[in-house]
Amino acid sequence: MLTKTADIIVAIVLLCLGLIIGWDAFRLGSGWGIEGPKAGFFPFVMAVIAVAGCLVIIRQAMKGTSSVKGAKPFVPAGGMKPVLTVFIPACGMVLLTEVVGLYLAAMIYLTGYIKLVGGYRWRTVLLVSILIPLAFYWVFEKIFLIPMPVGMFGAQILRF
Amino acid sequence: MDILTNLAYGLKVAGEPYNLTITIAGLILGVIIGVLPGLGGANGCAILIPVTFVMPPVAAVILLACVYWGSLYGGCICSILFNIPGEPWAVATTFDGYPMAKKGQAGKSLSAAFFAHFVGAVFGTIALTFFAPLLAAFALRFGPPEVFGVMLLTFSAFVGLVGKSPIKTLVATAFGFILAAVGIDIVSGELRLTFGLVPLMGGFNFIVAVIGLFGIGEILLTVEEGLKFEGVKVRMRWSDITATLKDMARYWKTLLLGAFVGVWMGFKPGGATPASFMAYGFAKEGMPTEEKEQFGKGHVAGIFAPESAAHGAGTSAMIPMITLGIPGSPTAAVILGGLMIWGLQPGPMLFKDKPDFVWGLIASTWYGNILGLFIVLAFAPAFAAVLRAPFPILMPLLIFICSIGAYAVNNRMIDIWYMMIFGIIGWFFKKLDYNMAPMLLALVLGDMAESAMRQSLIMSQGSLLIFLQPPITLPLVIAAAIIGCWPWLAPMVRRWRGTKE
Repeated sequence: MLTKTADIIVAIVLLCLGLIIGWDAFRLGSGWGIEGPKAGFFPFVMAVIAVAGCLVIIRQAMKGTSSVKGAKPFVPAGGMKPVLTVFIPACGMVLLTEVVGLYLAAMIYLTGYIKLVGGYRWRTVLLVSILIPLAFYWVFEKIFLIPMPVGMFGAQILRF
Repeated sequence: MDILTNLAYGLKVAGEPYNLTITIAGLILGVIIGVLPGLGGANGCAILIPVTFVMPPVAAVILLACVYWGSLYGGCICSILFNIPGEPWAVATTFDGYPMAKKGQAGKSLSAAFFAHFVGAVFGTIALTFFAPLLAAFALRFGPPEVFGVMLLTFSAFVGLVGKSPIKTLVATAFGFILAAVGIDIVSGELRLTFGLVPLMGGFNFIVAVIGLFGIGEILLTVEEGLKFEGVKVRMRWSDITATLKDMARYWKTLLLGAFVGVWMGFKPGGATPASFMAYGFAKEGMPTEEKEQFGKGHVAGIFAPESAAHGAGTSAMIPMITLGIPGSPTAAVILGGLMIWGLQPGPMLFKDKPDFVWGLIASTWYGNILGLFIVLAFAPAFAAVLRAPFPILMPLLIFICSIGAYAVNNRMIDIWYMMIFGIIGWFFKKLDYNMAPMLLALVLGDMAESAMRQSLIMSQGSLLIFLQPPITLPLVIAAAIIGCWPWLAPMVRRWRGTKE
């Protein structure tokens, strides 16, 4: 995908968002009430600015006068794979957090990532991925008393 | 000599053992945060905000401010040794810092950068100490229309002066305001832009947005570019420091100029980046021809100028934050957000209501920047070693830490998901030249800007003429209009001048 295409797609997405927001703000009342502007006025103005701005951005991208270099690929060759190998497991960790809580999910995520992507020895992997979440657990739950998500089963497993 | 009495009081508050410990801890954390990719000052402060809940407000703000100073100091380690500018205002430092480091003068170029930071910091802190109280006293006369005028000026400065694409900055700002509006309307109490979805009713928290946009987004960018951190090895020797002191005596004009430009520009939002480039340009122009050619190949003045400007700008960005409640940099915006969370009302009244807080902060700026110099000088090689930590271990750890920060703000699971979404947005926005600093600022200041506008209009019974009132609002609005339209006005002015000649 070219940067130009990405530029236009992002602008179109923002344009649609702007339209939806503008419509909702209009529904709330975008005009003047008894005491100055109503609740929807400010978001409505912002949505109008956003929509108008997006139209200009799309035109600039089409004409090639945008500040980004349109002809370059949006993601340089070989760049997409590392991004996805970071992002997808990270989403997996968040999903896992819903089930077993953040600390256990982080242990699983760290173990998997450092072993599979980094290719480190098991000793290093386990040392980092068990001890660091445990250290954070101790600092946050025990010293600062800031609770982290426990998910559905986390509270049953981490009991100390 | 009111100010000196207050400062002495502040020095006493910030000098308490507990607060001094916090100062040093904050500085060390800050340097590490500044060195690490994907963790800038703004993001680092955002992650630490939940930790500050257990502290008194003075200690809390000292911690965040010192993380800020530390990250300013730490940022140059990355740009000099690894040729990777961690922040946009560190770009100018790589021109001369990296060549110098490659020539085997890594220690010297680092110590030059640290001392330049120190000079910038001293200038900025003097400005903060003596100018902020005056500005606050003046700002006490501000009503809603004046506040709105200042806000308008702030955002038009971003559109007009910062960033590669003014129109994209404008769109990003508009979306920042829209995100701030989601949830309950503070004036009328109505639900806005929630589309009947329960998770949206709580609105978007700016800390989550910072961690996503600046943290996750930055991590994705770093792995995409496949950066390898193969930097120059460094050792700090006494001779490096003495050589730097000699250079400082020789190029004192460059240093002072850089610091002055920094403080002057940093006062305006988003001023640090142009300030560092301007200072670099001035320094180069001011040199005799034979030295001018050395620029870009490793001239020490090419480090002095941008670094003193960047730190001066970073420090003076606190002035509008503490006096007007309008932060001059993304990190100052996060600290301002922290202020609101700790239950303090930012603005000129802070000087009257919470003198221990304000003067504790100002005094800790003195302590922090002085101690910071010693810490970075003594431990620069250790901090540089942080960057040699292998990537496959660093990346997942950073994501884990970001998740903790995002969750701890409101104890909401959905915030971790928002963080990931903001991460993708940040990745796209950064690559497409959308400026995220004003978006973040709009998210922080959205409620304030909107209520200032609506209160003014209630005062005037709906008439927009209230924004064209002399003596304060009118000049602000006119200045905002000119600065905001500058990218379009500038070609016209040039053409007009051309025809005249």
